[in-house]
Amino acid sequence: MKYEVPIGPIHPALKEPIMLRFSLEGEEIVDVDVIASQNHRGVEWIGMNRNNPVQSIYLAERICGICNFCHPACLVLAVEEIVDIEVPERAEYIRVIQSELERIHSHLLWAGVAAHELGFDTLLHYTWMIREKVMDILEVVNGNRVTKAIMMYGGVRRDIKEEHIPKIREMIEYYKKLFNKVAKLFLEDKTIKMRTREIGILRKEDALKLGTVGPTTRASGVKKDVRQDTPYFAYPDFDVEAMTPDIITGETIGDTYDRIVVRLLEVKQSVEIIESALDELPPGDIISEEKVAKILSRIKKAEGEAIGRHEAPRGEDIHYVKLKEGFESFYTWKVRAPTYSNIMSWKPMLMHHQIADIPIVAASIDPCLSCTNRVVVVKNGKERMLTGEDLHRLSIQKTRRLKK
Amino acid sequence: MNTDELVEMLKEKGLEVKIQSKMAGVKKKVERKSLWVDVERDRLKEIVGLLVENAEEFPHFCVASTSDIGDKVEINYHFTINFGYQLEEIQITFRVTIPKNDLWVPTLTDIVPATIFSERELREMTGIEIEGLPDKRHLFLTKDFPDGVYPWRRDETAPKDLNKLYEGWKE
Repeated sequence: MKYEVPIGPIHPALKEPIMLRFSLEGEEIVDVDVIASQNHRGVEWIGMNRNNPVQSIYLAERICGICNFCHPACLVLAVEEIVDIEVPERAEYIRVIQSELERIHSHLLWAGVAAHELGFDTLLHYTWMIREKVMDILEVVNGNRVTKAIMMYGGVRRDIKEEHIPKIREMIEYYKKLFNKVAKLFLEDKTIKMRTREIGILRKEDALKLGTVGPTTRASGVKKDVRQDTPYFAYPDFDVEAMTPDIITGETIGDTYDRIVVRLLEVKQSVEIIESALDELPPGDIISEEKVAKILSRIKKAEGEAIGRHEAPRGEDIHYVKLKEGFESFYTWKVRAPTYSNIMSWKPMLMHHQIADIPIVAASIDPCLSCTNRVVVVKNGKERMLTGEDLHRLSIQKTRRLKK
Repeated sequence: MNTDELVEMLKEKGLEVKIQSKMAGVKKKVERKSLWVDVERDRLKEIVGLLVENAEEFPHFCVASTSDIGDKVEINYHFTINFGYQLEEIQITFRVTIPKNDLWVPTLTDIVPATIFSERELREMTGIEIEGLPDKRHLFLTKDFPDGVYPWRRDETAPKDLNKLYEGWKE
């Protein structure tokens, strides 16, 4: 007897409404179908028809609330390549610091969500408490916790001032001290190990063929990181290396546990990058052209195309921009967020697992959606609603069952 | 396979390679390169297959982008290869230009499975027919999005007023 279980399409906490349709035989998942067409905001259309290129930076920032530095970063990289806009040295360093701050807060946010999906809410509250430290720094430096409006063609809009530096250093010390504790909580806990080891395995071969990116692909042993492969901003100075789980565990399995390992390692790596960036922060301007109108007129006269790639917390983010002379908006603007590439990997990960594993496996790629609200179980043509709470309860029940 | 070898291999096949570059880094300067190759529609599969065969690891398919350029539509397939090694990665884009009165391209899903989302997107956003595409549902646009309206086009098929497209819209 085969059951169909649709999950989704919408939840107030999800930034991207998405629907998953599972085919089940008993508790076992035998097929997964992803239905993304739930809500289309037409961001690219607005950037191609209505906005001027500077307005589009702020629009790009609103593609995703968590990656609100990554999308403008890609866009700016692409346009700077076409128009050949110079960027001051100090701005390149500030961009690196900003993107690493974002990685820390995003990975800690994810770690909390993962703990919650397993029913380990103490750990959720603990991780989110320590996340507040980086959020405070973001607020101090940018004046805002999210949508920081920091990117601009030719530099950044706000400097890291002398008085900010001791505060950032304090944050670095805070995280360095905590790393071993957090690593122990996540990696040595028996319950977490039971629920994540050998669950949601993505083999290296599948990871490559499905074009997965970021921690998802690195946990499967693909050493792919834009900061390492094609460095941009000031990244060449830091010799970034892609993090794979074998650094801690000595082997690469490609399961949910390995994806936790990779993200923990990356938080540590980000802290180190910020530290060395602060040590070597060059003096000088933060933007090469302060007058927005001048930048706009240069962009309007330019013609050409380029790709901007940035390693977002979830993986490679890529924007393609084509400019045409005399055309006010972008002639073409294609945005590809990391989740676009990663959701295809749900199928190999979830096959032959149980319904109770859906929340943690789905969350393990860190999609811009993490919990599920409504599930409609279609049984003999009759529908029964399962709420997000029901699903969450199933997940907790499985944890308890395993503990016995 | 490094950049020179790849360029040489493509030249042997009679293709022209345009290299675009931009410097990055402050203390350590590096050159970020991207390769752009024009490919005819009939040879697309052959050339992408060649990349799959010769790349050290399976090439990473990033995304396909498309532009409406008057009476033609161009499609860019963005790939990267040689990732995993510092500064050795190559970004390569294959561009196919097709006339609007004969708007189709062959699917690449049989050689590069990751292309399925992008091909479904090309189909709904620009109205390009993908020959052999196994899944022809909408990807991002909702089920009730009207037929014959393509958001990424710049001609009469482009949406005039997005809000008014949906059923039940009220002034």
